[in-house]
Amino acid sequence: MKILKSWLNDWIELDQISDEELSNALESLGFEIENYTQVSPNYKNIVVGKVIELYQHPNADKVRVTKVDVGSKIYEIVCGAWNFDIGAVVPVALPKSKIKDDFLIDQRDIRGVISNGMICSASELNLWDDHDGILLLNENEKIGSDFSSIYDSHDSIWEVGVTPNRGDCMSHLGVARELSNYFNLSLADNSINLKPTIKPLLKVNSGKGMKCASYQAIEIENISIEDSSLTIKHRLSSIGVRIINNVVDYTNYVLHDIGQPLHAFDRDKLFGTISVRNAKDNEELLTLDNQNRTLDKSDLVITDNDKAIALAGVMGGYDSEVTSSTKNLLIESAYFDKVSIMKTSRKLNLISDASIRFERGIDRNIQTFGLERFIHLFKDNSNISYSDIQNDTKDQDSVLSLQFSKSMIQEILGIEIDDKFIIKTLTSLKIPHSLTSDTVEFSSPSWRYDLERPADIIEELAKHYGFNNFPSTLPVGNKLNNVGNYWKVRKFFIDKLSNLNFHEIQTLSFVDDSLNKLFTPELKSVKVINPIDKTQESMRTNLYSTLINTFIFNLDKHSYSGQYFEINNTYDMANHSKYKNIPNQNYKLGILVPKKITDSNYKENSIQDLASTLRILNPNVKFKKLTKPGFHKNNSYLIIINESPVGHMGQLSYSTQHKLNLKDEIFLAELNLEILKFNSLVSYDYKPLSQYPFIKFDLSFKVPKDLISQDLINEVEILLNKNENQISIFDDYTNEISRNLGIRIITRSYEKTYNEQESTEILNSVVHNLTKKFSITLNEKGN
Amino acid sequence: MPELNFDKVYASLDLRIKDIVNIDEFDELTKEFLGKNSLISEERKKLSSLSKEDKKNYGMKLTEATEFITSRIKEQRQLYLDSQFNNKEEAEVTDISIDWKPTRGTYKHVLSTVMEEVVSIFSSIGYEVAYGPEAETSWHNFDALNTPDWHPARYESDTLYLDEKLQTLLRTQTSTVQIRHMEENEPPVYIVAPGRVFRSDQLDATHSPVFHQLEGLAIDKNLTFTDLKGTLEFFVKEFFGNNVETKFIPHFFPFTEPSAEVLVKWQNGEWLEILGCGMVDPNVLSNVNYPESYKGFAWGVGIERLAMLRYKIDHIKNFYDNDIRFLEQF
Repeated sequence: MKILKSWLNDWIELDQISDEELSNALESLGFEIENYTQVSPNYKNIVVGKVIELYQHPNADKVRVTKVDVGSKIYEIVCGAWNFDIGAVVPVALPKSKIKDDFLIDQRDIRGVISNGMICSASELNLWDDHDGILLLNENEKIGSDFSSIYDSHDSIWEVGVTPNRGDCMSHLGVARELSNYFNLSLADNSINLKPTIKPLLKVNSGKGMKCASYQAIEIENISIEDSSLTIKHRLSSIGVRIINNVVDYTNYVLHDIGQPLHAFDRDKLFGTISVRNAKDNEELLTLDNQNRTLDKSDLVITDNDKAIALAGVMGGYDSEVTSSTKNLLIESAYFDKVSIMKTSRKLNLISDASIRFERGIDRNIQTFGLERFIHLFKDNSNISYSDIQNDTKDQDSVLSLQFSKSMIQEILGIEIDDKFIIKTLTSLKIPHSLTSDTVEFSSPSWRYDLERPADIIEELAKHYGFNNFPSTLPVGNKLNNVGNYWKVRKFFIDKLSNLNFHEIQTLSFVDDSLNKLFTPELKSVKVINPIDKTQESMRTNLYSTLINTFIFNLDKHSYSGQYFEINNTYDMANHSKYKNIPNQNYKLGILVPKKITDSNYKENSIQDLASTLRILNPNVKFKKLTKPGFHKNNSYLIIINESPVGHMGQLSYSTQHKLNLKDEIFLAELNLEILKFNSLVSYDYKPLSQYPFIKFDLSFKVPKDLISQDLINEVEILLNKNENQISIFDDYTNEISRNLGIRIITRSYEKTYNEQESTEILNSVVHNLTKKFSITLNEKGN
Repeated sequence: MPELNFDKVYASLDLRIKDIVNIDEFDELTKEFLGKNSLISEERKKLSSLSKEDKKNYGMKLTEATEFITSRIKEQRQLYLDSQFNNKEEAEVTDISIDWKPTRGTYKHVLSTVMEEVVSIFSSIGYEVAYGPEAETSWHNFDALNTPDWHPARYESDTLYLDEKLQTLLRTQTSTVQIRHMEENEPPVYIVAPGRVFRSDQLDATHSPVFHQLEGLAIDKNLTFTDLKGTLEFFVKEFFGNNVETKFIPHFFPFTEPSAEVLVKWQNGEWLEILGCGMVDPNVLSNVNYPESYKGFAWGVGIERLAMLRYKIDHIKNFYDNDIRFLEQF
């Protein structure tokens, strides 16, 4: 919302207050300053002149020649606009003056006539966009005066954010009221006495329903639709309101002045009784933007003799619109139900300055004042006459007063606020109140909807005290340096994997459903009913597809990709394991290892690299074959940590690889982190260091193709379980005839140095046990 | 008795040392000057034929000579080695500006880095990490947080819903964790909840349908607005540095009262909003049946916002594109 300093000045005396002080005040009162600009004339040396002669240009059809009196002298000026006649008072750019953007105006020969300057339109003076030609000024303006002196040409504009609870601040009056307390200035009264001279022709009521608490109207006769005054046009255009004509401009002016939306009807197009009711389902109304709207019973309409003529608070009807030929008016000033207006305006996507004010809540008692302010804007027009205000206002619930203990203030704010401050603040905010030695009693004024509880008044006091005037204290919580399991587990994996040169990624949670179906056909996807992108309406059931997409994205873009991991949620329509009424979701770790990081990569990864990464993450990890959709028949495993299944890993099936246009193999793992306990991830028993020398055997066995070498290693560990051992595979070679596996055993006793004989006994026992248990044969040396 | 001319021996040793081109030659030299067939050994053999007095004197001279030669060779050997190393180092000139194996230490996502830092700041003043579901009930996201039925945040243009009755949604704020945590835990409560939130926005330079917040909640006896100020000022100083100025300006959130926004003064003098906060609204505490004797404060901070400020990242889209050129910078 934009506010003008000159306009605020109508309500409080701001002449002595600098813009900087005003900015600080606005911010401190909770108006977020989105923009601040100073306006000054974008022209130089423009004077007020009067057209005293007007005749056709001798050599050009489309232009006329004028004689313009600028007080000191009379100038001949050629002009192409036709919206004025002899007697018009206009802004004149004399030779050597400048119009918009420093454009120099000088004496000029226009088809044989010397033009001594230019008569200006509003847009040529950078005032507002106009469409009617020359800017016509009030006939009473003094001829020869400096144009910039006849309106507030030097002004300041603030664009401020008003929080949704403060509808009452959405006008110059509302902002001025808040400022009046800040600066200890009184708020102007600005009340008006009307002198009605005609009887109204129409009847008015607020309808039977409760959605219109007050409907008031005034009839105006003998109006002429013309331009508004320069000051009003300038003020409105400065705050971004489009200039239309006096009637529309003045309704807009009252809205931005005091916050009461008004609507102007052409009275001569209305009949009988004006009232308010809910629309009927499928009732139609042609709105003034010339669109036929189909309504339903949640919409509120204004009617004449029960026929809908306007959408209450949202938009007028086409048939009763004010046009250039309108002679008589009915001006509506009403209080409509907040929620009803909000629903209609959102549904029809018709959000206007008026609808926003209705939905935030306007002052319940300001409707009459709104009509008075409107009439007041015609004060210089002696031709019009107007009726009494017709007023149908329903009885209001009486305003309750609330009492609370003063000690609450300190309990919430942490400081004491003295009575003097409380009284001063509530008085200047016009909040009715009374204080005793230990209580505060208050009631809410008709424009405030945010003062329902003691906490609301305490906030008001804190705000006007100034948040930055409060001291600071630092309490310490009860969980000192104890972040908890969730964060420790997450950090454990992120630290380990990022140190292993995996790139951590963050991808959006939405995917194409076919990607969910590829890996988890058994799960039902959670879907967004109002997705941003229809192809991305499903929430991911797995982390695989987004990992693969990231891999492909970088490879395509840079011929270079990486190995990735992501820790985030997956979702599916099963019941949540812990909470009612929400879909299942688990936070998981996904890992991707590609066979090749670039097109020409010397080091190739295999499923074993992924397995060894998982072993680095947890040395106790075990794998068990498990077929899974989207994955390789054999290279697909259940991941087991501490005897519990925690996830899955494997190679993408060749068919999936093909489907996803991947040239090379991809290896993926997914672990459900929710079931892992940090303490068990980092607790392994220390293996004591033997003081004795090692003995070492390299053994080669002929083994079956499907033998799992880890089983062999485990068996050796069991045989030598009293020793300190390092057992590893150093060779795995398959030719046409057989698979040969090399196992290296390094072992140390905790008790003694082995002699030759003992060493041989150990060797024989290992060989004997392994060959027997696994039906494998030892390759003798030299074979 | 003719004695060996020791000076001549030493001179010859020095001459030989000068010519050495290989470290092994020092061993040969030792053999030649002190070995079985060396001059010194020959002389020692003659000792038995000398008088007792001469034997003692000459024997001592021979021993001294042996020691001299030994230490000379040892010392020269070391000098030789040192000069060899010296030459080697002089020959080794490396252009360290070339990065043959371009990898950084770690590739933590910048959002994780920032989240971890914020968590550790609050952990140092007694907060633990809580978490809650991302697909939530509307009640936890709105009603429990004192957001009325008609509040604009509930519009389908802003919030992503999961069912036609609008009863489940993707949480729009991590404040939902306040409710989940208080439903399950008795006061006092000191938690921070980092996590994903969702809005109905297209991914572009300044918007993302997914972003991260960190919610904080402190509920205890005797917590006041001054504690809220002190806590958040502590955070700002820890995160942005001790010299950063902060200010609190009034704001509105349905679930806090009073509510404020915290602004920090940036290098260019501009004041930037970095978080929203306030005293927890009494309605929120009664929604989770907390006793009236408990009060507290809450705040929410945008993680992307902090990362963008700290690293001068201009597009929010960068966080979710996962372009490897971006990932490798952190």
